[in-house]
Amino acid sequence: MTTTTPRRSTAAALDSADARRSTRHWTVPLVLVAISLVLSVVTLGIGTAGIGVGDAVGMLVGATDPGKTHIMLQFLSPRVILCWLVGIGLAVSGSVLQGVIRNPLAAPDIIGITKGAGVGAMLMLLWFPMAPTGAIPVAAFVGGLLAALLVYVFAYRRGTSPVRLALVGIAVSALCEAIIRLLIVRNPPDVNAALIWLTGSLFGRSMSDVWQFLPWVVVLVPLIVLYARRLDVLGLGDDLAAGLGEPVERTRRLVLLLAVALASASVAVAGTVGFIGLIAPHIARSLVGGRHLALLPSSAAVGVTLMLVSDAIGRGLIPPTEIPVGLVTAFIGGPYFLYLLAKLARSTTSGR
Amino acid sequence: MATSVIDGPEVGSAAPRRTSGSRVLVIVISCIVLLIIGFGLSLSIGTAAISFGAALSAVFLGGSTPADLIVRAIRLPRALLSMLVGANMSVGGVIMQGITANPIAAPEILGVSAGAAMVVVAALVAFPTMGGLPLVAAAIVGGAVIGLIVLLLAGAGTGRTSNVRLALAGVTIAALVTSLTQAFIIFNDNTADNVFFWLVGGVNFAKATDVWTLLPWTVIGMVAAMALASSLNLLGLGEDMARGLGAKVERTRVLGGVVIVGMTGAAVAVAGPITFLGLVTPHIVRKLAATTNHFVIIPLSALMGSTLLLWADIGSRFVRWPFESPTGVVTAVIGAPFFIMLARRQKVSG
Repeated sequence: MTTTTPRRSTAAALDSADARRSTRHWTVPLVLVAISLVLSVVTLGIGTAGIGVGDAVGMLVGATDPGKTHIMLQFLSPRVILCWLVGIGLAVSGSVLQGVIRNPLAAPDIIGITKGAGVGAMLMLLWFPMAPTGAIPVAAFVGGLLAALLVYVFAYRRGTSPVRLALVGIAVSALCEAIIRLLIVRNPPDVNAALIWLTGSLFGRSMSDVWQFLPWVVVLVPLIVLYARRLDVLGLGDDLAAGLGEPVERTRRLVLLLAVALASASVAVAGTVGFIGLIAPHIARSLVGGRHLALLPSSAAVGVTLMLVSDAIGRGLIPPTEIPVGLVTAFIGGPYFLYLLAKLARSTTSGR
Repeated sequence: MATSVIDGPEVGSAAPRRTSGSRVLVIVISCIVLLIIGFGLSLSIGTAAISFGAALSAVFLGGSTPADLIVRAIRLPRALLSMLVGANMSVGGVIMQGITANPIAAPEILGVSAGAAMVVVAALVAFPTMGGLPLVAAAIVGGAVIGLIVLLLAGAGTGRTSNVRLALAGVTIAALVTSLTQAFIIFNDNTADNVFFWLVGGVNFAKATDVWTLLPWTVIGMVAAMALASSLNLLGLGEDMARGLGAKVERTRVLGGVVIVGMTGAAVAVAGPITFLGLVTPHIVRKLAATTNHFVIIPLSALMGSTLLLWADIGSRFVRWPFESPTGVVTAVIGAPFFIMLARRQKVSG
């Protein structure tokens, strides 16, 4: 990282750094994915009467009775798959935002995207109750995009400054939250469902939700990975990046758009699950460093692990009552975030 | 202070821009007129339509018709409570902005309201019959602890706190604390209405006892705030300048913090975490009165905060007529765009 000569040689320097660390870059996400796979199987049956770890393992080798297999395939596996997808979506989106805004506290839930997507999805649910379910992610995307645009426009003054983006994001987030509360108050029959959805929950999701959400992840995540190099360049700071020939504002806009789409789709399917997009990138960064080509997959894997653990806790803590996964992620993510803030407060370089 | 050649209060009151007295007078009079009209409307608007005159006679002449009882038992406490809460939140905001020298500081943004609300909910889950002073005490402790955590985590005292980091830390911790509040409510198996009340706040279910619980805190808080006014004026000149003039900056901050959590905590204990009032009112007052003098800003903010919340409460009755909606929903919808404007205006270095 110290060899950032502002010349054409930067790419080469980055490449050699890449080669030196490549082993670690790939082992970390692979190990995390392996952990996630094990967790998927182990947590599959948690919280459901009569289904244990043995049954889940048995299903893989075809040794469980058809009834239980049916329950697992029909009701439990969609949840686990969604944990993967939502974890990936939020974590990747969070990594990109932190890279672009250059603020360690940036995350889809803090700078307004999550809440904007929530407004979009809620309006869709309330105004067009008969709309096909595929319309909800689109509405969430539109809402998240509008919120992000609002943030961008209000933060724009001869270019955007990362700090102002974050601050205006908070304010727009507050506005969206106010609108959501107004909507809930005006439509009382849906209050309970809306509240659970707002906290973030995977309760009652089916394979159709999975199919709806899958394309968003499959298309957007690789696109973002394609931009990994340019995210690194943006991370050097606006002036330096511009000096390196990077069209700063344009790249920033494009990458932000991708991140917004990814976070919005996650919100549409799982509600406003908090803190994953904030802490997964931090954990990943402490494991593999800040280079995006390594950071993005690791961050995604951390996100998946966190989601699986959180959802399992939510289901298994006080069965048959289910705690919305968003509350669990807040409990897990909150303290980590506090630790993070304390660390930031001590360090002298990140005072802004 | 005694040994100092320059006397604190005099410097404090002389240093800010000169206030045009007539301008303040106009604001005070219009606020009082709006307050009186709002008070009358607050008594007469509701599911049982009660005429203005009938409402006034119920308050001042007594009587025992159903209308009189409704006015005295339900609407009068509600109107009074919204005025007190409005004053408390607004003055809390003034002092918060004063001691942090941060225009986007407010009890609700730096987590004090959310912390107070969480502890109140937790206390109510554990001891459902709790009320009055113990509940206020719990709210104050909660607000103080969370507010301190926010300040410490944002690096306050290291000289590196920025407005933005303070706001980011505050908002995130407020979100976390609100999640915890929600968890308490879920475990307690309450109804959605209660959830909403405790998440957004409102004076909808005010009782006369709430007014009596809050009143002493408002009075003492106002007196204490006025006592701090000159120190706040000094602090407004900038920390270095204030120190140079012999101000005890740390003492002002600590005392200011005590007043903030006292006023805000008491308000939250009876009315929940009503948002944005503490952020918005001081700005409106400063803008309209064109002054930075806290001797003017503090009482004026109290007056304007009362008026604003009284009218917001009237507005909340129309959100879903004839049902009740939490007052905090109205203040949030009005206040959030204001927040965006303030955020946009922030001067950002680097």
